[in-house]
Amino acid sequence: MISVRVALARLRGLLSRPSGDSRIEQEISAHLEMLAAEYRRRGLETEEAMLAARRSFGGAAQVRDQWRSQRGLPWVETFAQDIVYALRQLIHSPGFALASILTLALGIGANTGIYQVLYAVVFRPLPVADPQRLVELLVTEKGKPQHFSYPLFREIASRQNSLTGLFAVSEFPLHDATLRGRGLAKSVHGAIVTGDYFRVLGVTPRAGRFFRAEDDRTAAPLAVISDRFWEAEFARSPEALGQTLDINHVPVTIAGVTPPGFFGETLGLTPDIWVPMRLQPRLMPEDFLNGAYTWLAVLGRLRPDLSIHQAQAALDAAYQRDPDHLGGHLELHSATRGVDGLRQFADPLYVLMATVGLILLIAACNLANLLLSRAAARTHEIGVRLAIGAGRARLIRQLLTESFVLSAIGAALALPLAQWGSRTLVSLAAQRVSLETGSHALAFTATVAILVTSLFGIAPALAATRVDVHDALQSSHNRASGSVRGRALARALVVAQVSVSLLLVSAAGLLVRTLWNLRYQDFGFEPERILHVSLPFEVTAWRRLAAIAPSLSESLASLPGVRTVAVSSCGPFSTIQRTGWFAAPGRPAEETDGARMVYVSPGYFEIMGRIVAGRSITADDRKDAIPVAVLSQTAARRLFGNENPMGRFISGGKQFDRRNQLLVVGVAHDVHYTPRDAMGFVVYMPLAQSPAPVTDIELRAAGDPARLAAAVRDAIRNADPSLRVSEVRLLRARIESELTQEKMMAWLSTAFGALALLLTFVGIYGVVGYAVERRTREIGIRVALGARRGQIAGLVLKDVSVLLAAGILVGGAVSVAAGRALHRLLFGIGSVDSTLALAAVLIATVSLAAGYLPARRAARLDPTEALRQE
Amino acid sequence: MGNMNEARSEVPYGTLDLMVLKTLDTLGPLHGYGIARRIEQVSQGSLELNQGTIYPALLRLEQRGWITSDWGTSENNRRARFYSISPAGRKQLTAEAENWSRTVAMVNRLLEGQW
Repeated sequence: MISVRVALARLRGLLSRPSGDSRIEQEISAHLEMLAAEYRRRGLETEEAMLAARRSFGGAAQVRDQWRSQRGLPWVETFAQDIVYALRQLIHSPGFALASILTLALGIGANTGIYQVLYAVVFRPLPVADPQRLVELLVTEKGKPQHFSYPLFREIASRQNSLTGLFAVSEFPLHDATLRGRGLAKSVHGAIVTGDYFRVLGVTPRAGRFFRAEDDRTAAPLAVISDRFWEAEFARSPEALGQTLDINHVPVTIAGVTPPGFFGETLGLTPDIWVPMRLQPRLMPEDFLNGAYTWLAVLGRLRPDLSIHQAQAALDAAYQRDPDHLGGHLELHSATRGVDGLRQFADPLYVLMATVGLILLIAACNLANLLLSRAAARTHEIGVRLAIGAGRARLIRQLLTESFVLSAIGAALALPLAQWGSRTLVSLAAQRVSLETGSHALAFTATVAILVTSLFGIAPALAATRVDVHDALQSSHNRASGSVRGRALARALVVAQVSVSLLLVSAAGLLVRTLWNLRYQDFGFEPERILHVSLPFEVTAWRRLAAIAPSLSESLASLPGVRTVAVSSCGPFSTIQRTGWFAAPGRPAEETDGARMVYVSPGYFEIMGRIVAGRSITADDRKDAIPVAVLSQTAARRLFGNENPMGRFISGGKQFDRRNQLLVVGVAHDVHYTPRDAMGFVVYMPLAQSPAPVTDIELRAAGDPARLAAAVRDAIRNADPSLRVSEVRLLRARIESELTQEKMMAWLSTAFGALALLLTFVGIYGVVGYAVERRTREIGIRVALGARRGQIAGLVLKDVSVLLAAGILVGGAVSVAAGRALHRLLFGIGSVDSTLALAAVLIATVSLAAGYLPARRAARLDPTEALRQE
Repeated sequence: MGNMNEARSEVPYGTLDLMVLKTLDTLGPLHGYGIARRIEQVSQGSLELNQGTIYPALLRLEQRGWITSDWGTSENNRRARFYSISPAGRKQLTAEAENWSRTVAMVNRLLEGQW
């Protein structure tokens, strides 16, 4: 208690410093006067009395000091003194201060910025009640997780008691639902959920009410809207409740609004509207509620008394008892952070985090070098201070305070930079992530600042104060040489910089080549001059399209500049895929087949494919003609091995079924569905023979396809004004949009690689330049004794080369390891690669250039000048 | 003040606080000079006290809450800081005094060999 009170009193003292100082002054002078008066009473003269009083009082200065140090918190004061001193030092060398603060602000800012995104993507718990108890249910077959079908979800839900509740949800394909009746038809992001969705997540409505379990039975046409949608569409008016929205031609009544910040259960998705599961058959072209469509994510909340393992055991047992179970096992995974829709984004973020960490490391090396040379320049000053009795610890503290002040200012500037950076990063990656600046970002910034201060501050402070006082005072300001350890440290820092730069540059090379490889790979069709139209997946549109497709195709084909038109369902670069099993006589479908089904119109293979054998699908493949199929090369190989597939039969399903047989009439080149998609098992069937929702229209243009876009939109609108088009883009642009992340990584890694090179250049230039300056006299003597200029430059460059070689050796080893760690992000790059060699050449060039400039200066030294220098 | 020839001892560590508290307890509110003078008088010149050292001691006692202080006017009409003992200070004084007596008695017994 006493110590707390003393601490508080001292704190008060510290804050009321000026008045406190005058208090002790007044007390001392009053005391001296009373004492002097006493002496005068005893008969001393005024002067003598005052002297006697002073003697008797003792050292007034000591009393004052002691009183002061006791009154406040002395370490705070010395710290404040140090800071003031540090600031003064920095103001004296504004160039150094500006350069280091800028370096730190950029370095720390980049780190905080990427950390903020990483936190939002990987670490942040869902903004719902008690997210720790949320689990995701997965059916895992051979290690491959699968979605649930609705019947399976119902079955598990009715049999389990390990969860206090569970729900099924799917954003697909309602993520591109059509909202009509509020201005032009537009796309809204919808999610379809079972009745317990909001209760299990533990969210309370911002307004109105959420769905209830009974809504699953009644199939009530309700909707819950997001706060953002509420604001955008209704300006947050309470009148919105009870209003009707037309979603995919289904009228739904707004029942409630979610709280701000709620984005559902899946990271990276931010639905505007939630509708009950029972509306599914009315919202989409097919009834997914009955049958084996596996399309649902299932989440639940653990019973408080059960561990995740106990619950998993019980649920798996229930699953195994289900007569229709799919095989495999039911597993529970923690869903504290939600369903991970952004795992693809997490890997690049980790790589970027490491990259900016390394950049900061290089920057810290430069700062350490700067501080070392500053310290060397201050050897004399430090020697003097040591000689007059300053403790080494006190001096180290002083020097560290300078570093700390730099970091603190840098960190303060880093915060706004980080805000900007994280937002830019998220938009570059075209991701929907809500970012927030919380205490975690501040804590991270502070930690990084402290870490980096210790990185660049401690070693130079130790080296600077390890000074022989005698030597330091003997030498003059200019020639003070800094300690041997300081120089060794500077060289080690250069090696570190070179190796880290090599790592970053070679990683950038790999990522750029990955982008190139993905972009210009053989997609299995010629991707140039294709215009690609995506259509929303909705019932009425599909029915209308099926009816008007032939005439629409004709009117599109008659547009000037159009060479070929095709319509298709679920092909490459469609937002929707359809998979199933295919068997041939005597060859049942295998688990690993996973065939994709594409329904196409005549002309399709002239745009999105390449027939390698047989024929393509033509206008003759009518409904009443013999059902045919075209196989991809992989499909042909899997189903028929090396035999000729032409004229053979296949059928859908796990076993061959004569009644549904399709005649194989052609083989098409394998295609990539997306840039990273493995070429695979595809079966093409004529749209005319298998009614399927048209999802895409493809056009091959004679000239620039971009010119066609407006005409194509008009033609579709003229064909049916109620049709909405999701997207009209060049296929090249669609490919590019699939490569957003790779592009982001290629750009950022290149920028960071260049930054690393620049920092390394500056670092080497500084260290070598300083070494040359230090050796001016020696070089002068050498020149005077007849050394040729080339020899002098060689002498300096030899020094650089040794460091460079060491750096490339270390960096090369690290880069090879890093290349392996990066493999998930890379594409089309073997384990041994020329990129590293190129990067090494680049680093060597830059380093030697950085060394060459001071070397040239050394070689041009005038010996008389050099020797005259003291 | 005092005779330079007499044997004088330094203030034993920790006893200054006790003396200050006792002085304030006995004489009531007093300024620093008054306290120093009183201690010198009582010690009858046997204590070598730099009067200034009283101020850090006073601040210490005040920070611990054993004494309080306020501005007042001295006998020669000067503004001076007057110190007075607080209830907590009285308690501390009693405790310290007992402690002191026990220590002195123990040391005396030790020196007189009665054990």
